[in-house]
Amino acid sequence: MAASSSSSRLVRAVGRSLFSGLCNNADGLMRSTHKMMCNHLLFQQQRTFIQMRTSLKVVDNSGAKRVACIQALKGKKGARLGDTIVCSVKEAQPGGKVKKGEVHYGVVVRAAMPRGRCDGSEVKFDDNAVVLINKHGEPIGTRVFGPVPHELRKKKHVKILSLAEHIA
Amino acid sequence: MRLEKCWFCSSTVYPGHGIQFVRNDAKIFRFCRSKCHKNFKMKRNPRKVKWTKAYRRLHGKDMTQDSTFEFERKRNRPERYDRNVTENTLKAIKKIDKIRVDREERHIAKRMKGNKAKEQREATKELEQSIHMVKAPSVLFKEPSLTLPTKVKVLQKQSEENRMEE
Repeated sequence: MAASSSSSRLVRAVGRSLFSGLCNNADGLMRSTHKMMCNHLLFQQQRTFIQMRTSLKVVDNSGAKRVACIQALKGKKGARLGDTIVCSVKEAQPGGKVKKGEVHYGVVVRAAMPRGRCDGSEVKFDDNAVVLINKHGEPIGTRVFGPVPHELRKKKHVKILSLAEHIA
Repeated sequence: MRLEKCWFCSSTVYPGHGIQFVRNDAKIFRFCRSKCHKNFKMKRNPRKVKWTKAYRRLHGKDMTQDSTFEFERKRNRPERYDRNVTENTLKAIKKIDKIRVDREERHIAKRMKGNKAKEQREATKELEQSIHMVKAPSVLFKEPSLTLPTKVKVLQKQSEENRMEE
């Protein structure tokens, strides 16, 4: 094991000297990919519509941790990236704005299922995540974590976009 | 509009093509076609897959350091539109492309230079060593036409000399 790891390091070093900044695939990528692969082995998100009983991560500071979709407000088969759903809070932090067992609206800000973009390409994410909103469409929390797609602008969720750390 | 590079094979991804995967730390992986995407999902390392640009560069099969690659570099500062600059750029693209192709050809020619002689040498050696598998050595002795021609010049000279004497 030790021998193999040392040899791989050697290969990487040789690669770095050969690439020398000309290649668009930076060296950092390789290492980060490896980390991500380990994540994938542990947990792989199912790639389907967001439908009844789909469990989603909440990526804001509203206090909820996990919600279950109980109704998609658009689409026959279920919700996709950028759609609004009705969800019930399954797990919540103590002392948050949102309590366990409450029902809220939420915007799907990340979905593992590929969604077509306006130019014909596709985009997909690592997990299924949601940001809780009130009935006027304003986010309940004051922060949004992780990347969100720019398609939210079309869906008139500009507030979420402005709060987001990264826009993909 | 930006022409991105495929994460796996380093080819150009034109707008509207391929798929992009956004990891939770907001790193974007762009793929030019489903082939590259599938290979990524299979957790293959592009440096170990022979048809990718990364492999070819790493193994010295393609040109790695060249001034022509500088023009293709990613720039994050938008250029202000200028008609003359655009016109010159469009002209230069063809010229630079030609130079790049020429240099790549030269690179490959340089890499392949010794190959023909090497193959010839190896073939000769094999013929010498294993001709007995095709024809028995006794037959070869009787019929010298089956062996390789070696130094015939000296014999010719002698025969000429003989003729002169006659």
